[in-house]
Amino acid sequence: MKVGLCAKVTADTDARLKASADGSSFEVNGKVVVGPYDAFAVEEAIKTKEKFKCEVVSFTVGGGDDVVAQLRGTVLALGADKAVVVSDPALAGTDSLGVARTLAAAIKKEGCDVVFCGKQAIDDDNVQVPAMVAELLGWAQVSRIVELEIEGTDFKATRSMDGGVREVVAGSLPAVFTAERGLNTPRYPKLPAVIAAKKKPLETPDLAALGLSGGDVAAKAVTTAYGAPPERPKGRKLEGDVDTMVSELVRLLREEVKVL
Amino acid sequence: MNADLFDPTDDHRSLRELVADFTRNEVEPQAAKHDELGVLNVELFRKIGELGLLGVTVPADDGGAGMDAVAAVIVHHELSKSDPGFCLAYLAHAMLFVNNFYHCSNEEQRARVMPKVLSGEWVAGMGMTEPGAGTDVLGMTTTAVKDGDHYVMNGTKTYITNGCEGFCFLVYAKVEGRVTSFLVDRDCPGFSTSQHIDKLGMRGSTMSELIFDDCRVPAANLLGDEGQGITHMMRNLELERLTLAAMSVGIADRCVDIMVRHAQERKTFGKPLLEYGQIQRYIADSYAATEAAKSLVYNVARSVGPEHRNRIGTDAAKLFAAPVGKQVADAAMQVMGGAGYCREYPVERLWRDAKLLEIGGGTLEAHQKNLARDLARARPL
Repeated sequence: MKVGLCAKVTADTDARLKASADGSSFEVNGKVVVGPYDAFAVEEAIKTKEKFKCEVVSFTVGGGDDVVAQLRGTVLALGADKAVVVSDPALAGTDSLGVARTLAAAIKKEGCDVVFCGKQAIDDDNVQVPAMVAELLGWAQVSRIVELEIEGTDFKATRSMDGGVREVVAGSLPAVFTAERGLNTPRYPKLPAVIAAKKKPLETPDLAALGLSGGDVAAKAVTTAYGAPPERPKGRKLEGDVDTMVSELVRLLREEVKVL
Repeated sequence: MNADLFDPTDDHRSLRELVADFTRNEVEPQAAKHDELGVLNVELFRKIGELGLLGVTVPADDGGAGMDAVAAVIVHHELSKSDPGFCLAYLAHAMLFVNNFYHCSNEEQRARVMPKVLSGEWVAGMGMTEPGAGTDVLGMTTTAVKDGDHYVMNGTKTYITNGCEGFCFLVYAKVEGRVTSFLVDRDCPGFSTSQHIDKLGMRGSTMSELIFDDCRVPAANLLGDEGQGITHMMRNLELERLTLAAMSVGIADRCVDIMVRHAQERKTFGKPLLEYGQIQRYIADSYAATEAAKSLVYNVARSVGPEHRNRIGTDAAKLFAAPVGKQVADAAMQVMGGAGYCREYPVERLWRDAKLLEIGGGTLEAHQKNLARDLARARPL
């Protein structure tokens, strides 16, 4: 058994994102972290490692010093044995499919049997990559799991559905699972492990090392601009006595908003 | 010199993130409740042990994190942004006991005690102050007399942080007039602690007397040699002063953050408080003082360690930083007005906590006395 996990380093939930003046990119004002849903995936990978006494490898597409520092301080410190950060200039303009192809190639090369991902990253909220990775690998995929049991090569996963219904899915490994809130409670890294994580292996293969070319990750869909949403119109304050305000509110709801 | 004074290495940065995350998620939510109850959150204390923070300055080969005084400052700085009271219990355990004990104990003693105090299974503290000897530490009257394979200890220590929950303590007592360090634990016959001594602030930690009534301390619990107590005490006091100063920086940092946010949100006479010159003065002066204290504390921390003495630096850091925490908390309360005085917001708690730092671990007056003497010694006529 070898466990893989996909970890994306994104802006923290309280960081502010701002589109650049020319709209070609966005800036993060605040710190970056391994995404909150990815944190559930990390915890599940570590729990799986503890159960099966196996190796855990994390996979990330693209990354500078900030990304590497985050992976070392969290994913590796928590118990992953190795991090693979695919770095290649051709990845700069890629899309979800390009990211998925890259991850699938890296996962295949490592020979993982199970891969955990967060259900989505919290920056672009695309929610596409894990399903694409499973498809490219020809593996089973179960999204938004809140419980998981693995016995041998069989798994039983519980999904959370709207309205409180739980769906139980059974199948065989290899498989990709995406983690929903509630799957587990992520632990904190221990300080000595954080320090020791600096010495753990972190590989930075380029696309060629994974048997891919720039064309394999060329975007099918291109982001053309980033911008702020249109400003919300200012609210309107009704004045006068209660009867006047109620009459005016009813009139507005009926004539302008047209909900009555 | 590294360009980053506050996080000189990646390890320091990772440590700060770890403690800041833990503080935000685990320490902040329980702070007000434990302040009200006046008890230590022992469960949270053990979690700190699980993270490996109780041995931050202990070498990695002996179960610690093997980090330096800057790292110790980081932990106290970050914890004190949310709960200085809890941080004080951490300081009493990790700095006053663990760091000191590690450096003055032998291998057998370390093997017996370190795993328990590094995990937090045993809460620990240090006994120096007495009812009649605080700053005048050499005036202590607690004695220990050798009796076969034991020492018989008599006396009382007071204002001892972690006294109520503590299992073991590093205690200074005079053997034939010479200050000597001992490990005393609750298994020693004749050792007891008083009721909790209630206090104004720092209520997330407890304080009591340690009472030695013909207390029989095994000779195996003598730390170092007879008469070495002053050396142990002085070596550790520097880290104690520095981390207490760091706690004041944490209080000030949090209070600046609170007052800047509040001054933007709160409107009076149709405009935010931030636009009033009187409020701007509180905010700007508080920020400048906080940054000055922070810079001094971190700068001094770089030159403090088991092998490096810096009494002048640590006295100066605590003398300068301690009043900054109190002043900035006071300014934050003034900016917030009635809201700042109410328990609904953390400022009044931080304001009460801040005062201790002008007293504990050396009063401001003790730092002034030490500094004047040491500065003159460095400039003999």
